[in-house]
Amino acid sequence: MKRVQFGHSPVPYLFVAPQIIIIAIFFLWPAAQAVHQSFLLEDAFGMSSQFVWFRNFNDVLSSPSWLKSAGFTVVFSSLVAVLSIAISLFLAVRADEVIRGAKVYKTLLMWGYAVAPPVAGLLGIMLFNPLMGDLYILFNKMGLDFNHIQNGNDATFVVVLIAVWKQVSVNFIFFLSGLQGIPKSVTEAATLDCKSAGRRFWTITFPLLAPTTFFLMVINLTYAFFETFGIIDVSTKGAPGGSTATLVYKVYVDGFLGADMGGSSAQSVLLMIMVSVLTVFQFRFIERKIHY
Amino acid sequence: MATLNLKQVEKTYAHGYKAIHGINLEIADGEFAVLVGPSGCGKSTLLRMIAGLETISTGDISIEDRVVNTIAPADRDIAMVFQNYALYPHMSNYANMAYGLKNRGYSKVEIDRRVREAGTILQLTELLDRKPRQLSGGQRQRVAMGRAIVREPKVFLFDEPLSNLDAKLRVDMRLEIKNLQQRLGTTSVYVTHDQVEAMTLADRLIVMNGGVAEQIGSPIDIYNAPATQFVAGFIGSPSMNFLSGRVSNDRSHVVLTDGTRLALDHNVAENRDVIVGIRPEHLSITTPTSSSIAAKVRITESLGAETLVYLTFGSKNEAITLRMQGTHKYAAGDELTLYSNPAQIHLFDQASGRRI
Repeated sequence: MKRVQFGHSPVPYLFVAPQIIIIAIFFLWPAAQAVHQSFLLEDAFGMSSQFVWFRNFNDVLSSPSWLKSAGFTVVFSSLVAVLSIAISLFLAVRADEVIRGAKVYKTLLMWGYAVAPPVAGLLGIMLFNPLMGDLYILFNKMGLDFNHIQNGNDATFVVVLIAVWKQVSVNFIFFLSGLQGIPKSVTEAATLDCKSAGRRFWTITFPLLAPTTFFLMVINLTYAFFETFGIIDVSTKGAPGGSTATLVYKVYVDGFLGADMGGSSAQSVLLMIMVSVLTVFQFRFIERKIHY
Repeated sequence: MATLNLKQVEKTYAHGYKAIHGINLEIADGEFAVLVGPSGCGKSTLLRMIAGLETISTGDISIEDRVVNTIAPADRDIAMVFQNYALYPHMSNYANMAYGLKNRGYSKVEIDRRVREAGTILQLTELLDRKPRQLSGGQRQRVAMGRAIVREPKVFLFDEPLSNLDAKLRVDMRLEIKNLQQRLGTTSVYVTHDQVEAMTLADRLIVMNGGVAEQIGSPIDIYNAPATQFVAGFIGSPSMNFLSGRVSNDRSHVVLTDGTRLALDHNVAENRDVIVGIRPEHLSITTPTSSSIAAKVRITESLGAETLVYLTFGSKNEAITLRMQGTHKYAAGDELTLYSNPAQIHLFDQASGRRI
């Protein structure tokens, strides 16, 4: 179909120019730099570099520490996405049912949204401080032998907890507005058709929230991949022994602390590819099934 | 099939607003009852209380002698049709109709039989596999009715089901609903603000105003003898004409504000201040009687089969509407003499609005 075209004016381009310039400077150019660097081997002082083809990628993919980090990232991201979606869905459904003081509940549950990831990390690390952290002391008093400084699983628990806590309020807002978007008469019709509230939720409410859930799945995975950097940097710094270092955190550690620009760039290029594949997969296969 | 009883039913909201003031109502088995009234009169609230979507503050609602006040909506054996259809958008039309049966543990064969049968009755057979969004408004409302029919409930509840449809479709669907109800013989309660819908559908009409049932009766009884000025004005289109007047000393006439005298055959006290009600279709310019009103034409509306003439009368410019058969033409300012018949004059108390 041929659309009617009118004479173009250059003004629209002027309006989008600032955004394009920002994307070019802060995304396209660094991304190109990373791709370029990933083929180079640089000396520790950045004085000279050498073109080495795919050696950096080869090194990264065969390095046990990268594989460990990739494994952790998968576990961490899945846990964070699934837990924070499940918890916030539960909270949103309950808060939506509240009649008295509904505003207070909703406001309190949304507050976490205003907390920046590093602040959340700071709060978390204070709760788990071996000297004065309330949760640390509580867990050990319960006889759990909790030690996130030395035990990788315990450390994973800490970062997952902080990351989920931080994300719940964001998801909560979306789920709440999703719930309020379901026509009241539809839920009322369902109460006439189905006595069990649980069954009603899974057959009517949850399917109607599917687009919201899918959207949050994408948002949360991206969050767990990238935005949890601040939380990890403030709380565990990837310790113990790199067992809580996500791929993004490892890029930073290897590149900026380890000064291995080539290897770090190769990692970030791999990360970019992984995220693109994941996103395409999500939109291709999952989204198609959930629209009504 | 069942009777539906409302005994002294009231609804008071948490913030103290009283929406329903003690309603008593007995709906017989198979009867089509219509709740009609202006918006905010409490008719929908009452229907939702029967459905179980609103709690009952005091009083009892019983379906076939079983008090249902605290029984869950799903267990009351009622089915409801909503104004905006309220179909489940993610399910096919078939699944929409089957949902209530599935949750009640009916066998697949039985569900299929009932859904297909309802589909045939409502001419939806071709559309069963589609989703609601692929249907037009009228088709969606048919699916919603199908969802109610397949349940074979004791009582059908209709909450303004035709309000979202265009005028022509509304008339068609009105007939379909009437047909369907007569065929199934299911006790029904129907809420509407449209008095034409109310008159045509109802076996019994409940005219509500401000949370009170002003009058309950057959449509024709209500039309012929409205209990209050409100009912008189609400039922009948165009609305009844109301003129203020006073009963003469010999009680044989009512004297209007400009001195016009209209003959009465009511048993009413002399010198009483009254509201005179005359329906637009009960005024005539062709059959002279002893009582006449001289009025000035303001606007004429020709509808083809009939003509509505809007006139003003007297020094206070009181409005009068005249409804005539056929086509007539008058210019603004024309003087007409309107004749009234004593048997077709309604009198209402000026203070209380009650019929005299």
